[in-house]
Amino acid sequence: MIVEDDRSLSRSIYDYLKMEGHICEVALTFTDATQKVAINKYDCIILDIGLPDGTGLDLIREMKANRLTGGILILSAKSSLDDKLVGLNIGADDYLTKPFHFAELNARINSIYRRNNFLGLNEITFNEIRINTEDNQVYVNEKLLILTKKEYDLLLFFMANRNRIITKESIVEHLWGDNVILTDSFDFVYTHVKNLRKKIVAAEGSNYIKCIYGFGYKFIDI
Amino acid sequence: MKLLTKSAFYYLPLSLLVMVAGGALLYLTIKKVIYKQMDDSLITEKTIIEDQIKQSDTIPDFEAALGHQIEVKLMNYHLRNYQAIKDTDIYDPKTDSFMPCRYIFYSGNTNQKKGFVITIFRTIREKNELLKDIGIYLFFMFFSLLLISILINYLIARNLWRPFYDSVKIAGRFDIQSDTPLNLPETDINEFNQLNEIFDNMTRKMRNDYLNLKEFSENASHEIQTPLAVIRSKTDLLMQQKNLKKDSINLVKSINEATTRLLKLNQGLLLISKIENQVFHEKKLVSLKRIVENGLENYKEIMELKKMRISVDGKDDASVEMNEVLAEVLISNLLSNAVRFNIDGGFIKCHIDNMFLTLTNTGLPMTIKPEDLFKRFHKNSENPQSVGLGLSIVRKIAESYGMLITYTCKDNLHELKLRYR
Repeated sequence: MIVEDDRSLSRSIYDYLKMEGHICEVALTFTDATQKVAINKYDCIILDIGLPDGTGLDLIREMKANRLTGGILILSAKSSLDDKLVGLNIGADDYLTKPFHFAELNARINSIYRRNNFLGLNEITFNEIRINTEDNQVYVNEKLLILTKKEYDLLLFFMANRNRIITKESIVEHLWGDNVILTDSFDFVYTHVKNLRKKIVAAEGSNYIKCIYGFGYKFIDI
Repeated sequence: MKLLTKSAFYYLPLSLLVMVAGGALLYLTIKKVIYKQMDDSLITEKTIIEDQIKQSDTIPDFEAALGHQIEVKLMNYHLRNYQAIKDTDIYDPKTDSFMPCRYIFYSGNTNQKKGFVITIFRTIREKNELLKDIGIYLFFMFFSLLLISILINYLIARNLWRPFYDSVKIAGRFDIQSDTPLNLPETDINEFNQLNEIFDNMTRKMRNDYLNLKEFSENASHEIQTPLAVIRSKTDLLMQQKNLKKDSINLVKSINEATTRLLKLNQGLLLISKIENQVFHEKKLVSLKRIVENGLENYKEIMELKKMRISVDGKDDASVEMNEVLAEVLISNLLSNAVRFNIDGGFIKCHIDNMFLTLTNTGLPMTIKPEDLFKRFHKNSENPQSVGLGLSIVRKIAESYGMLITYTCKDNLHELKLRYR
């Protein structure tokens, strides 16, 4: 469920997640959201903190009080540390600051989903590539692939956003975080992608990372 | 020059003039009175002797008092009537010295038409000594009067101006960022109260304007975030669409780039205004070395690629009390610059001692003036990606903790020095 009062933004998120194959509902107000949570069970709730008739934090408290399950991803225009800490303390799973990249949102949702469903999903498999998210190991053709931390994060990011165009900007933000807002040299991204691609190909994997002119990259099944 | 010194400066010569003139006048008057008295008594004495001569036609018998010398001569002929009183010195054989004297010379005639001459000398040594004493007395009196009046003047002025100095001191401590009002003390002097009132109103208005501006800029950057998020999400969606024409791709690409730029700008400005608003108030002791090492982790691969050498040396316990997030932003912005503007095969050296964190890196010659380096939106034109806020954020953080950051460049070696203590 998407809880976001900005109609245009919630619509975008809805469209995007639908494209990803998720089934979504939108709640525009706090009241609407509380009613929906009471009736249905959601795998993941994308929650804006600043709502016209309440705060998203209260919704989390209510859900936890009623022992309702479901991952919670806080979405906020405030990047103040306090909000983030409070949110995570009372039971939210993750925190994302507006404005965000869809690729980032998607990766976060996937990771929340993985964490909350213990059905052996701490392994992501894609053709000959297998990633164990528990001990952070990558296997190509069942052979261990040594990756740096950044390369590993990058591969996971690609995996979460298969067949979608990922912009260089979103990669920068994913790898270096919000605080390094000025690490704006895209050479960094280029280098990392190149190295990752080289390593996978060297381990006799296929080259799935395609460069998309003008935008960034796309991880596609050939 | 201080006001009090200045007023004393005017006061001193003026009062000196008045006192010197007054003292001289007084001295002369006293002198004149004394001489007048002397002359009067000389004349009286002369008149007595004259009367006796006129009565008896002989030189009367008289005894000269001490310090007096009277000479009377009788002539057989007629003399012109004449009288003069003058100063002179006469020889005193007893002390073998000349003695200052006042004398009267009088010539007249008896009833028998016989002339006579009376000369009476009288010493004025005592009188002179008296005058000298009076002079010295006067001098000291006036001198102490002058000193006392200057002192009193100074004390009164200081007391009168005290509320003014107090107000100046308080107004000097005025900090536009603090919430406490000026609280200027009430005085019983209308002019100062007026001044205080003006001070109060001025600072209140200043603070209000400042708060409004601060609130506006924070709200503005904050409110911009959501529409930006919408734009970004729409372009994201647009990008994912298949069969985009090449023209459309270029359009979306431009929109995306502009949005990203705007976003970064906004985030940077928001961060700066947050630092100004002291949103990051939690403090803890952070180890600089650890933050530097963590920060370098982010650039490990890039540095390997650029074949850059890196060395960090410093004390492990070199730490500073500040907000951890800000410390990370500060260091990572510095490192990011050091990496970005470095050359292939260059190096970054980080040295931490008890007072300074010094970051030295190789690089290309500077194209902008070092003093402009920390200004907002001042950027190297060769890098259009940069928004030009990194180092101004660094400076803002440093300033908010009273740290000092300086930049020097020598032989393409760039050195940023942060005095953190």
